[in-house]
Formats: sequence, structure tokens, C-alpha cells
Amino acid sequence: MGKIYIVKRILYTVFVFAVVVTLCFFIPRIGVDDPCSRYYPAQGNMSDAQYEVIKELTREQYGLDGTTWSQFCRYISNLCKGDLGTSYQSGSPKVIDLIFARLPWTLVLSVSSMLISLFFGMLIGAFCAWKRGGWQDRALMNASTITTALPAFFLALLLAFFLGFQWEIFPAYTDQNMVSSFRWNAKSVLNVAYNAALPVISSVIGGIISYAQSTRNSVIAVSNENFIITAKAKGVSNTAVIYKHTLRNAMLPIATSLGMSISGLIGGSVVIEQIFNWNGVGTLFLEANNTNDYPLMMGIMIFLSAFALVANLVTDLCYSLLDPRVTLGEKR
Amino acid sequence: MKSKVENLKILKNKSGAFVRKIWKHRQGRIGMIVVLLLVLTAVFAKWIAPYDPYDVTQRVDKGLSPSLTHLLGTSITTGQDVFSMLIYGTRVSLSVGIITGLAIAVLGSVLGVAAGYLGGIVDMVLMRIVDIMIVIPTLPLTIVITNIFGHSYVVIVLVFVLFGWQSLSRVVRSQVLLLKNSDYVKAAELAGAGKKYIMFRHILPGVSHLVVMNTALTCAGIMIAEAGLSFLGLGNPTAISWGKMLADAQSGGSMLFGHWWTILAPGIGIFLSVFAFMRLGLAIEEILNPKMKRKSGAYVMHRQLNHRYLEEVFQSMNDVETGGTADE
Repeated sequence: MGKIYIVKRILYTVFVFAVVVTLCFFIPRIGVDDPCSRYYPAQGNMSDAQYEVIKELTREQYGLDGTTWSQFCRYISNLCKGDLGTSYQSGSPKVIDLIFARLPWTLVLSVSSMLISLFFGMLIGAFCAWKRGGWQDRALMNASTITTALPAFFLALLLAFFLGFQWEIFPAYTDQNMVSSFRWNAKSVLNVAYNAALPVISSVIGGIISYAQSTRNSVIAVSNENFIITAKAKGVSNTAVIYKHTLRNAMLPIATSLGMSISGLIGGSVVIEQIFNWNGVGTLFLEANNTNDYPLMMGIMIFLSAFALVANLVTDLCYSLLDPRVTLGEKR
Repeated sequence: MKSKVENLKILKNKSGAFVRKIWKHRQGRIGMIVVLLLVLTAVFAKWIAPYDPYDVTQRVDKGLSPSLTHLLGTSITTGQDVFSMLIYGTRVSLSVGIITGLAIAVLGSVLGVAAGYLGGIVDMVLMRIVDIMIVIPTLPLTIVITNIFGHSYVVIVLVFVLFGWQSLSRVVRSQVLLLKNSDYVKAAELAGAGKKYIMFRHILPGVSHLVVMNTALTCAGIMIAEAGLSFLGLGNPTAISWGKMLADAQSGGSMLFGHWWTILAPGIGIFLSVFAFMRLGLAIEEILNPKMKRKSGAYVMHRQLNHRYLEEVFQSMNDVETGGTADE
């Protein structure tokens, strides 16, 4: 019964991905007749003949020869083989290798902050729902308006200033040897945790509050439902009401916001990574932008979109497992 | 001719009453006062600021501490007066926020009304576009587009509008679908009114409250986005904006020298303006949606510079609403 929904959802994801890939292919080609002049802009001290030679080399190296259509076909077929092109960086490394080298470091940051904010957010949210209308509840509400208006990067700068520079509790800049000297032993892992403390704290504060708010709201909304009253009237024990009936149904909106943050796991922490000099995908993207490294930029763009799309797909499928009404509506 | 004047009068009375209502709302009043102060600061920046930060000749020693001549000291990288930069920064933040907010309001509501009222192929095409654009990660795309088209504010505003209208139009559309079957629209249709006339005269006023509320919240979101973009060094490099001030303070080593004021000042500027617009938006929402009064729940705004926050705001609004009806 849910099969049609799943197939439809997967086809739709593939379609959106195709749109993104097409966009990524054509964006560097906007406004220039020859993409080569975008990939290698003319330098002032270069004669026309020299520039032509360089252009020819660039075309060969980055697959820019032939008509736009044949370039596009080559691009797609390379993409299917998992080849996102070659970066400008010296030694011309593959884009995909560069991304995979940075990916674990971004995930260390984002996954740990997501889990921490989810855990404490649900704890605080359930507590505030219990103390509904009390000062704890109102404090949470005020905190949420403040943290939403406070940009994460400003918070990160403040933390870096006080905890990093004034009181010197945590490093305000990531130890650049951390990545190269990483071994799977306790010392290295602790060093990573020590360096990741500030970036994680600065992204966790907003996360905790927003998860707490959505948990609070959904717990309150669910606890007013008739089936909870029925369950209580039936004489179901308190713990069963809370864990089997309330929390299980309150999970749905939390799952939605969790899904949203999963799709932002890689791309979401660009600013935080930049502030703390963290060697992640976000800083890689900014470096690519500063050096006009188009293959790398587009490669990261495609990778990010693919990740976000797959995350969305998985979230939606899980959601339909949690809430069968989603697929039922599709069937009718 | 006469009807136009009368219409204007009605509109004036209505908006006057609306402003009075916001004034009576405590949070709304705070928002309104701060927004007004910020607008005045932006307009009269030239007279309020003691120095002209754009004037190269008025630059002095770099990295001075706060004193009577330089209230917030001078910047570490250029030696401009930080207090004057703060005042002038209001202009960028407010103008980008408000212009983008208004543009999104117009585009989003018109497309949403068209999709909802016309239905059929228009609806399908528009909603598919919305679906696709909501999934695409916006921050990297914004960075790439500004890289190619330049970092002028025209480009930045256009990009923000391009990626900002979807959630509004989706919300407006679902409201229009409800209005479409209401008696007064049916009556107008039977009376032979044209589609365009019904859309702009009957449907659009019906969704205006959604649009007004949204615009205030969008302004807040866009101001954070603009600050973030300038902080990453991707904003307009010639203008003085709060995000760029923060970036300069960080790269210039104000943390190393303990110049906390160069970080705190622009940060508080951003916070205050975003907070004021958010307050205003939430107050308008509570006024127009009295059922939700005293129950303003999670207005989970975006954390990642993308515009999915509106989606989340409405998600949480729905949560609150179901909670509200169950309470009564």
C-alpha cells in the first residue's frame, strides 16, 4: 500500500537532484560565451596568443571542449561514476577526495551538537510542558525569542572572546595540527573534543531552545487530545500514558524538526566553522569561493544537495512509518 | 474618482486603527518604538554620527579605546570611528531587510493568490517550483551567485527575494483555497466579476493579515541573513554594515587585544533590529489571531541563514493552534 508513495517520493527526489545538477552546470556559464574565460580569467600581463594556449589547456583539463551539450553529457556521465571533477588546487586533486577528507570533521561538529541539543531540548521541553504557565515555561519562551534574534555567529564570537581569549578555558582557534596528527587514541580524541567545545557550545544553545520549544508545544498539544483523556479514564497507568501515549505522539513534530536539521548537517555550520577555523566542508567551500575554484564549488554544491535530498527522503519515509496517515492520504 | 478617494479614506482609517491596536499590545509597542528609532537613526545618520565613516580623511589612529571623542573607540583595521559606523550600519541592515521583505510580500502573495485561485496548471507549475526551491540548499547557491554576479546590494536583494518567496506563497495559497469557496467570492463570481478583479479586490484583502505578519518576520530573517553574508565577507565590500564590522573586528584581532566593544556594538545592533521586527510580527499575529493570545509558542526562526524558518514558524503556529483549540 505504501509502495506507490515510496516510489513516487524517490522519483521526485531524483528529479529535484537533476534540476540541481543542471543548475550547477549552467551557473558558471551564465554571462560568458566561453566558460573557459570564467574558469581562467585573462590576466593583464598576458598576450592574446598566450591566453589562447592557456585556454586550450584549461579546456582539456576541465572538460570544457566541445559543444555545451556534449560538455553536459560528459558532466552527467562523470557524475554517475562519482567523479565531481578536478579542483584548481595545486596537484589537481579530485573534488570528491577533497570533500571526503573534510566531511568527517564537519560531521563531528554537527552531529554532536545535534544530539546534545536534541537530548537537552527534549528534557527541558518536557519539563516546561509539565510546569506549563510557570516561570520556567515563561523563561523558555523569552529565551526562545532572544536566541532566535541572536545570530549564531555573534554568539560564537562572544563565546570565543570570553571563553577563548579572556578566561582561556577552550581554544578560540582550532589547533591546525589536529587533523594531520589524528590517531585513534584517547589523547587525539580528547584533543578533538577540547577543540570542538566552543563551536559545539555556540551552535547548541540555539538548538536546545528550539527543540525545547517544539517538544513543549507538541507535548501540550497531545496531552489535550481526547485519546489521552480516554486512556486516563480507562485506568492506564501514569507511566504508560506518558511514554506510550503522550510522548509517542509528541514525537512527530520533533521528528520533523530533526529531519530538517539532518538535511543541514553538512552545509549548516559554514559560519561557525569559519569563526573557529574548523577544517570542515564549510571552510572548504569558502576557500573555493575565495579562489574562484568553480569545479570545487559546484562539486560541494552538488554534494550538499544530494545529502540534503537523501536526508529529506529518509525523513519522509520514516515519518510515514511513524504516522501512517501520511501514506493513507496519498492512497486515497 | 470619488470611489478612489473614499477607498483611500477607508484604508487610512483602517490602518490607523491597526497601528493603534499594535500600540496597545505591549510587545508590539516595544517593537514599534525600536523600529521607529532605528528608522530615524538610519534616515538621520548623517547628523547623529559624530564622524563620517565613509570619509577617508576622518580616519585616525587604529584601535583606540573608547573615549569622549570616540564613544566606542576606533576600528582596528581602518581607524574609523566605531560609533559612527554603528549608526551608518543601520542604513544597510534596515534598507536591505525592508526592501527585500516588501518585495517578497508582493511576489509571494501575488503568486500564492494566483496559484490558489486560478488552480489547474498555474497552481501545479508554481507549487512544483516552490517544492524544488525549498529543498535546494540556499546558502551555497547564494554564495555562488554573488560570486558570479558581483557583491552589490542589488544582486544580494534579488537573490534573497528569489529564495524567499516560496514559503509565503505556499501559506497564502492554502488560505486562498479556503476563501475561494466562501459566499462573498461566489457572489462576486455570480455577479460577473473578472478573475483579476476578484483576485485583487476580494481574495488579496482576505489574506492581507498573513502577508503583513509575514513581512515583519521576513524582514527580521533577511537582516540576519544579510549580516551573516557580510560577516563571511560576501556582502558589499564598499558599504559599512554590521556584519562586516564584526568580520573586521574578528580578523583584525580585537579579541586578542581585548577590544570587546568592537564585537558587542554591531552584534547588539543586529540583535536589536531583528528582535524589534520579530516582536512586531508576533504582536501583529496575536492581534489578528486572538485565539493564539498568550500562547505564542515556538517561533523557531532559522538558524542557518536559510529561509526555511517561515516554514517552521508556521509549523509551530499550527501546533499552537491545535493546542489552543483543545484548551478552549
